[in-house]
Order: sequence, then structure tokens, then C-alpha cells
Amino acid sequence: MIPEIGHFALVLALALAIVQSVLPIWGAARNDVVWMQSAVWSSIGQVALTGVAFAALMTSFIQSDFTVVNVVENSHSLKPMLFKISGTWGSHEGSLLLWVLILAVFGALVATFASNVAVHTKARTLSVQAWITVGFLSFLLLTSNPFDRVYPAPPDGQDLNPLLQDVGLAMHPPLLYLGYVGFSIVFSFAVAALIEGRVDAAWARWVRPWTLAAWVFLTAGIALGSWWAYYELGWGGWWFWDPVENVSFMPWLMGTALLHSAIVTEKRGAFKSWTILLAVLTFSLSLLGTFIVRSGLLTSVHAFAVDPERGLYILALLAVSIGGSFALYAWRAPSMEGGGLFRPVSREGGLLVNNLILAAATGVVLFGTLYPLIYEALSGGQKLSVGPPFFNAAFIPMMLPLVFVMGLGPFLSWKRASSRHVALQVRYVGLLAIGFGFVLWYALRGGPVLGYVSLALAVWLLGATLREWAFRIQLFKVPFRDAMRRARSLPRAAHGMALAHAGLAVAIFGFVGSSVWKSEQILFVTPGTEITIAGFDVTFTGAEKVRGPNYIADRGALEVRRGGAEVTTLFPERRFYPVAQSNTTESAIRSTLAGDLYASLAEPASDQAGANGAWTLRILYEPLVNFIWIGSVLLVIGGLVSLSDRRLRVGAPGRRMQRAPTVPAE
Amino acid sequence: MIWVFVAVLSIAAMGALALSLRAGAPPREDADSMPAIFNDQLAEIDRDVARGVLPERDADAARVEIRRNVLRHLRMTGAGQLGRPRSSNTGVVLAMAFVPLFAVSYYTQFGSPGLSGMAVSEQREARLERQRVLALTSQLEDRLEADDAGGAFEGWMLLGQTRIRLGQYSEAATAYEIASKRPEADSSVFSMLAEALIAGENGIVTPAADKAIDEAALRDPSNPAVTFYKALSLQQSGRSAAAHDLIVARLDAVDGFFPWMESLVAQANRIGEGIGRAPLSLRDFAPMIAGPDADDIANAAEMSTEERSAFIRSMVQRLADRLEEEPDDLDGWMRLGRAYVVLGDTNAARQAYQKASALARDLSDSDPRNAQINKALGSLRQ
Repeated sequence: MIPEIGHFALVLALALAIVQSVLPIWGAARNDVVWMQSAVWSSIGQVALTGVAFAALMTSFIQSDFTVVNVVENSHSLKPMLFKISGTWGSHEGSLLLWVLILAVFGALVATFASNVAVHTKARTLSVQAWITVGFLSFLLLTSNPFDRVYPAPPDGQDLNPLLQDVGLAMHPPLLYLGYVGFSIVFSFAVAALIEGRVDAAWARWVRPWTLAAWVFLTAGIALGSWWAYYELGWGGWWFWDPVENVSFMPWLMGTALLHSAIVTEKRGAFKSWTILLAVLTFSLSLLGTFIVRSGLLTSVHAFAVDPERGLYILALLAVSIGGSFALYAWRAPSMEGGGLFRPVSREGGLLVNNLILAAATGVVLFGTLYPLIYEALSGGQKLSVGPPFFNAAFIPMMLPLVFVMGLGPFLSWKRASSRHVALQVRYVGLLAIGFGFVLWYALRGGPVLGYVSLALAVWLLGATLREWAFRIQLFKVPFRDAMRRARSLPRAAHGMALAHAGLAVAIFGFVGSSVWKSEQILFVTPGTEITIAGFDVTFTGAEKVRGPNYIADRGALEVRRGGAEVTTLFPERRFYPVAQSNTTESAIRSTLAGDLYASLAEPASDQAGANGAWTLRILYEPLVNFIWIGSVLLVIGGLVSLSDRRLRVGAPGRRMQRAPTVPAE
Repeated sequence: MIWVFVAVLSIAAMGALALSLRAGAPPREDADSMPAIFNDQLAEIDRDVARGVLPERDADAARVEIRRNVLRHLRMTGAGQLGRPRSSNTGVVLAMAFVPLFAVSYYTQFGSPGLSGMAVSEQREARLERQRVLALTSQLEDRLEADDAGGAFEGWMLLGQTRIRLGQYSEAATAYEIASKRPEADSSVFSMLAEALIAGENGIVTPAADKAIDEAALRDPSNPAVTFYKALSLQQSGRSAAAHDLIVARLDAVDGFFPWMESLVAQANRIGEGIGRAPLSLRDFAPMIAGPDADDIANAAEMSTEERSAFIRSMVQRLADRLEEEPDDLDGWMRLGRAYVVLGDTNAARQAYQKASALARDLSDSDPRNAQINKALGSLRQ
């Protein structure tokens, strides 16, 4: 019965979404308060009903109700409870349900909390959000119903891929989706603005908290996914330019551009149509990502044809939403007024450079991701892969000027900045960065020049960000207490920016250190084999069989010494899950701030050698890799601090405005 | 029960829409943050001037620009007058009617309201039972493997049979393979091995299975399982006629009736169907059994209840008469007992089973018929 309740709740949610996609926007056209207000309540109704459906599916997973096809295919009665729960969104159907739930959550959040948004804009925005919901709910119900039943029920489930049995992964898709889908509301705001013909500073301010929230979630989701690949997959890397990674990275790049462009629209009334275009593009890329991952296009263009119903439906959705919004943009954008004028050297100019580079970088990633698919389709099935060499050559050089401008940007004033003035302020930071680069080169003397340049730029960005923050609060110029008082009165968005920019600088140390100065060895080992890597002496002492809750494993032991002193013992495992009949690699990592020593056990060298205890061992040292995670945490915290800014706090400007007229002019 | 939830959820959804009717006084259209934003823009200029990145002359120009924006904004506001036309309530009420109508008609078409959720607890019990059996089976396996003498032959056979029943065919094959290497291994061990191998491959006779069939035939060519699987193997290699002939020859060689003949006849008919041979009947090979034939069944279907009951009684009587003449037919007595149970004649049923029980004394303990007879007698005694 529980699955049936879920099914019905989902159908009801679709009915409400259909109403919401018509009534409020019609109400906005005829100034009808009741119809416009209906969007608020139907949004809340939708989130409640979708929540009921999601809870019903989760209950079916927890109870192992094998009359539900989705539970049979993605769960097993012996699975640990946490992974039964995460199995809810582990499958295609479940993850789409999560997608729709998050869509509804964002709609309801706007309905409830965006009380500062003009009534017409809000009604239109919620209607547009309902269009997206109708599209995805009908896709879910018609082609991928998570509540399909089977009777008689099979005795037990078919398990979830044991690779997916990981806490990092259990949390990764929900966060990623919160980001992906969060941009839907920004898209809805943009389409509503196009329909209404109103894009101004107020609009940009309404959109900013939602963009920021989506960006924070997406950042956290990508970082967590990367962390998962690093720790769980045992590949010894954190980013592979894999299409699945790229499709989450593209909305992030675009979203970052949008975040900055919206600031210009809010502060200066400029970049209006550009901001709108970025909002549309960001969500379009999220949709494209969902399409590529969900249609099976990635495995092969031909896998798409295996289940053409799903693929075609989502392709049609994509065509309607992206095509429709672009057509609307082409029609309405020319009528938007231009904003304030500015000189090339100005905050606007800096942000324009940021926007252009980010957009071009997104284009590069998009090309690299789609090219193999297009090639396969046109060449009649020949496969081709675009890998890290392409992205490293095309993407990274674009990021260097971006990082340079990032350091300068916050020093620039709006409209017109003085180059001389800015240069005076950053000269020491510049010298420090250049000096750091040369000292490092002298000390290490290995590796590509680009590595040293990147690290010098990271020092530049970190230094410039701290310098600018110190400059704003007059640190060391006025007494410390005064500086702290200034820090408190500074808008939180300024602190957020400093944190996020510093976070990126810290992360760059990790990116560069762990890819340029990485040491790696893959070799056959027998008990007693000694390996020397990055100053560590590692001894393989053998492998033994151990038994886990639902797997059996071979566990290797590696004694690690440095300069004769014992450092640690690593226990990499190779697990076998009998129910799923599959193997996973659990790498062992000694993690310090300086770098990670990372060992993973591959197969026995051969059947014969396996009997003697010989294994293929992969051991590597990744310097500074943990700076990536620290930097990512800083980025997320920066976003959250900025989100807590009073000026963005939902509803606050509305109340302030009532008082504003009574304040005498300054 | 599900319809209660359908009703509750529908009412909740309609209620959500009904709440929008409460939207009384038009909310402030000027719920607009422009003034606050302009204030912020001016404040930011002040901050820039204070920290010295913006010369006063440029700051003034920027302030003028912001003020100009304020004016333009004031000109633009004051668009349409918000209202509450009479038709707005009608619209919401129509929407409220649409929601449950749409949802219920979709759900009755595509949902499974009849599938009860009670299945969950049943499933859980079945799963627990299965887990218990699985645990016992792995215990048996561990014990057999740990045994220095390699484990008892009967133990491996029992393990194989249990694995088959659990549907773990490849594990069953492993157990039978170990048993087949023992000196006690007779034809049936090899035919069971063949069965496990074939079931493990979803009914495909692999070379390994063929070898097991041949080994079984070598030890006892009259083993009916050999005929059964050999025929399957022949059919799969495209020699259906030979397969059919093989079964018919085996059935012709039988004197009397044995329960396995039914499956051989069924197998022959399955194969024969593909090559256009006339269907066989069990009575062609075992005339002494007076089971109903196709005509009997067709007749029975057309009869009234009384006629059918009389017909069945006459059939049972025929069986009883035959058993008076051939009292050593254990399967016959069991069949007679079952028939009397169906007819509700408890006394006659008990007598038939007691006859069977006397004959079953010579059977080995593992023969399932012992358990069947005891169970039937147990329930008849109550």
C-alpha cells in the first residue's frame, strides 16, 4: 500500500503543477491577486506531495518491499541500513524523483520566503518553475515510474553496486542535485523577467541569494564527488575530466559567471541581457547534464537507442526548455535598456573579463564533452575519447589570466579605477608571488614551468585577497580594536568574497601540487618487497583474508618508514561482494597536510602468483592534495557567509524600505 | 484502504488551492526593494571614497547616475491596478475540481490499487526462513569441507539437493561433482550432476553436462533421468526425431507403471510437438493405470455437479478394484488415499494410507513418500 500512496501523491503533484503552470501567469496578465497567490499554495502543496512520494519510496527501501520493481533492482535485504536509504536515490527512477523533489523544494522556498519580490514577478517565476516540474514529473511517471510493482515478489533484491556503498556517494547526488536544480529557480526568474520585460537592479538582487545557494550546493557536491573518486574508486586522482564530472562542472563555471554578472546588474544596472543569458545557459547546462547522464548517451550513442522512449522524452524536454527560452531571449533581450557606462579599467571591466573567460572555459569543456558523442554519431559508431591532455592544454591556460584578474578585481572601483593606484596597492603582493615562484624553482628544479607559474599565481591570489581584506578594515593602520569594528560593519558579502577567493587560491596549491609533483609506482610485490617513494621506505609484509559484514576481502599490509623511523602501517583492501558478484578497491591513505601516501591493491599478479602472495600494488604520493578539500570548504563557507548578508536576507529589504522614506537624506 | 489515502491526499491538494481564495486585500504591489538597493549603491560609493579608491569627482558622477536611475524607476512604477475579478473564484474552483479528477483517473488507469502492502510482512517471513535454510546449508558445507576425510558422501548429496531447492544450481553442481568422485557414486549421482549443470545454464546442455549424462548412462542405462536429459541434449543439437525415438523406446521397455513415466511422456510430447508427432498418452505404456484420459476430462467438463461426482466415484472405484488385484502398488494406494480425501471419505482414505504405510516400511528413510504417508495419516487421525 505504501508504494501506492507514493504513486498517487506523485500524480496529484503533477495535477497541482499543471494548475500552477497556467493560473498564476494568467493571473499576472490580468492583475488577478487570487490567481497569482494560488502559486504560493500550490507550490507548498507540491512539495508536500512530492515529499510524501519520496518518503513512500524510502520506506519501501527500508522495509525491503520487493513488490516494488525499483527496490528489487537496487536493494538487497542484507544491505546495511544507511545504504538501503541511499538506495532510494541510487537508481535512475529514484534520482529523478529526488530531482523533482528538489525542484519542488526550491519552488516552495521562493513561494514562502521571497516576500520581497514583486507580486507579478513572483507569480510568473513560480509558473515557469511549474512548467519545468510538469515536464519532469510527466517524464518520471510515464517513462520511469519508481513505483512500478511486481507480483509475486522475488525472494530478494539484486543489490546496489557495491562501489556505490559509500557514505561520500550517499551524500554526493543529493548535494549535486541541490546545485543543479537550484539553478532552475534562477532560470525561472530569468524567463519571468523576459516575459515581463523587467530586468533591473531589484531583479538582480532577488536572484542573487538563489544563485548563491545553488552555487554553494553545487560546489559542495562537486567537491564531495571528487573526494569520493579519490578515496573510494582507488584511482589515485581527484579529477579525470570524465563526461559525468564535466556535466556538473559546466553549470558550476556558468553559475560562477552568473554570480559575478548579477552583481554588476545589481550595483550598476549594467550587463542586464548578459545576466539573463547566463541564467538561461546555466540551467540549460544542468538540463544537458541530466540528459547526457540519464539517457545513457555516455556509454554509447547506441545505448541511447536501447531505451529510446526515455531518451527521446528528455531530449524533447531539453529542446522545448532551452529552445523556448532562447527564442524568448532573442525576442525580448533587444528591448532591455543598457546600464551605466564604465571604463575598461574598473570593477565592471574586471568582472567582464571574469565572465568572458568563464564562458569561454565552459565552451571548451562543452566541446570536449560533446565532441566524442558527435564524432561517434557522424562516423557511424567509431569511438573516440577526449581526455585530460586536451583539457589540460585548453582549459588550464585560460584559468591563469582569470586567477590574475581575480587578485586585482576587488581593488578596482566601479565605473572608473586608477591603474596607478591599484598597482601601488598590490606591488608587494606581486613581488612576493614572483619571488615565491623563483625560490620554488631554485629549490625543486623539476616539473613544468606552468606548475611554477600556477603556484606563483596562487600565492598572488591569496596575498591580494588578504591584502584587500586588510585594506578594507584598515588592519595595522588603525588600532586593532578599530579594525575589528570595521570588520564587523563590513557587509558579509565582502567577507564571503574574501573567503571564497582565498579558498580558490588554497585549492590551486592542491590542484597543482598533486598533479605536477605526484610520484607513482605500479609494481608486483611479494611479502618482503621494499619500495622507495617520495622519501618513504615501504615494505609489503603480505596479504591476508578478512571478512566484513557483506563482503570478504584481501587485506595487504605495508610498513612505512622514513629515515629508519616507523611512520605508519597501511592496509589497502580488495573487497569481494558475493551477492553483487563484484570487486571494489579500498585504498589505504596516510594523509597529512604535506601530502597523501596512497596505496591500493589490484589483482593478484596471476593465479599462480596469487598462491605465493604476489600482488599488483599501486602506490603513489600526492603532495598538497588535502589543500583541495580545505580550499573547497573555504569556497563553500565563503558562499554561505555571503548568503547570510543582511542585504540578501529574504524579506529584509522590504521591511527596510518602509522605514527608508523617514530617514533624512545624508 | 488505499482509497482512504487517495481521498485524504486529494482533499489536502484541493485544500491547498482553496487557501489561495483567502488572498484578501491585494498585497503591496510596491513590495519592492529598489529604494533599499539604491541606498546600498550610494553607501558603497561612500565606502569606496572612504578607503580612497574612488576620487571625489568620480564619486559625484556615480551618485548623479544612481539618482537618475531612481527617477527612471519612479516613472516606471505604478503599472496595473491589482484586483480580484469576479471570475477569479470560479477559476480556482475549476482548478480544485481538475486536480482530483485528473489524479484519480490517471491512477485508476496506471496504478495498482489492488496490490496490498501485506505482502511486505509475508516477504519478510519467507526471507527469514530462506536465510535460516541458507545458514544451515553453509554450516553443512563448512563441516564437510573441514572434514579431514573429505566429508561423508551422503552429506555432499544432501548439500547438492538443498542447493537445488534453493535455486543455487552452480553450487549444487559443485557438491554433486565432489560426490561423483567417490566410489559410492552411482548413476543417479551423475544424472543429478547433469541436472544441476543444465539448470545452472538455464536449460542449456553444456559439454560438461553431456559428459555427466554419459557417465550416468555407463553406470545404469535404464536410469530414466539419463533418457530425459539425453533426449534434451539430442533435441538441442537439432536431432529432435532421435530424441523422441529414444524416449519412446525407453517407455516401451517399461513393464508396469512408475511415477517418472509421466515426465518422460511430457518431455516426449514437448519434443514431438516441434516435429509433428502425435501426442502420447501415459496409458499407451501403462495400461493398468486407469487415470482419466483426454476424453474423460472433456466429458467431465460438460457434466453437472452430481454427474461429475458420480463419474469421479466410478473412477476411484476402478482404481480400488485394480488395487485389490495388485495390492503391492504403493503409489496406487497413495493415489487412492488422496482421492478419498478429496471425496471426503475419511475412513476409506485412512485404510488406503494404512495399506500404503505397510508397503512403505521397506523404503529407505530418505524417500519422500514416507513423509507424505505419515503426514496424511496424521491429518486423518485428527
